[in-house]
Amino acid sequence: MDNLFIAASASSPEVDFRFEQRQLSLKGESYPENAAQFWGEIIATLRRFLADDSADAPLTVNVALAYFNSSSTKMLFSLFDALNEKAEAGTEVILNWYHDEDDDTIFEFGQELQEDFPALVFHDHAVSNG
Amino acid sequence: MNGIQQEWTELHSYVARRDIIFYYVGYFSQTIIAAMAEAVKLRAEHTGAVGQTRRKLFSSFIEMAQNIVHYSADLHAKEGKVTEPSMRHGAVFITQTDEHYYLHCANPVDADMAEKLRAKLEHLRSLTNEEIKSAYKEMLRAETPVDSKGAGLGFLTVARDASAPLDFEFSAPQSDGAQTFYLRATI
Repeated sequence: MDNLFIAASASSPEVDFRFEQRQLSLKGESYPENAAQFWGEIIATLRRFLADDSADAPLTVNVALAYFNSSSTKMLFSLFDALNEKAEAGTEVILNWYHDEDDDTIFEFGQELQEDFPALVFHDHAVSNG
Repeated sequence: MNGIQQEWTELHSYVARRDIIFYYVGYFSQTIIAAMAEAVKLRAEHTGAVGQTRRKLFSSFIEMAQNIVHYSADLHAKEGKVTEPSMRHGAVFITQTDEHYYLHCANPVDADMAEKLRAKLEHLRSLTNEEIKSAYKEMLRAETPVDSKGAGLGFLTVARDASAPLDFEFSAPQSDGAQTFYLRATI
């Protein structure tokens, strides 16, 4: 399956899904005009990959989003839902959750994800802002 | 001398007296919001706010500005045609006092929208911080409401980030039913 790469814009993050290498990364800020559309297409591509994938090797997901608006939050929830289903079906899915060390909002959202999607191997990474 | 400096002095003294650190009135589009977001971020850094306050201010600013793009009753049109991508009219301003930042926004709404907003915000005002948190969690996992262009989480997000209940008012309706909706968040 082709990799998915979307360059960052002022209001949307960099999306770098390297399916072959089983590395999925999100980085930047997310407040696109239409979050349902922006994330909907990414989630659809991800779901196609997850459905066809039978490699059984671990998947690593790196998320370093510095900000996401309310409608992106909702879409992210459904993206992690898709990954959690894959993990429940037996594939190890590692979620590296990066956030600024004093960013309680993103830290707490990570805690929510852990609560709702227990099949994901969750690693919290508090990044020092120097 | 033709009074230019005097005009600036008067403007600046008014802005300083009212503690205004940011002001915009006009059409809102996604591009305009992204540019303003950059300016608001710089402005907040410049005022020396701590990281968490800056992030709350930024988050509330984006939610309010995107509400204007999605829901203001004044849609930009040229020669009778709505322009694409869509732009809608509204206003925002931010003030800073010793204790707080206040984020204000205003936009025209029709009578139906005014009723919906009033009900939603009155309900939100009746909730404690804990109840806001759990309403947020619940909405995050619920189906998106049919009348929402986002996730139905916008006001909950602003309420969660605010340090006091959200304040709002409506102007008296004009003959065509149009009203101005005013919202203020204390950060």
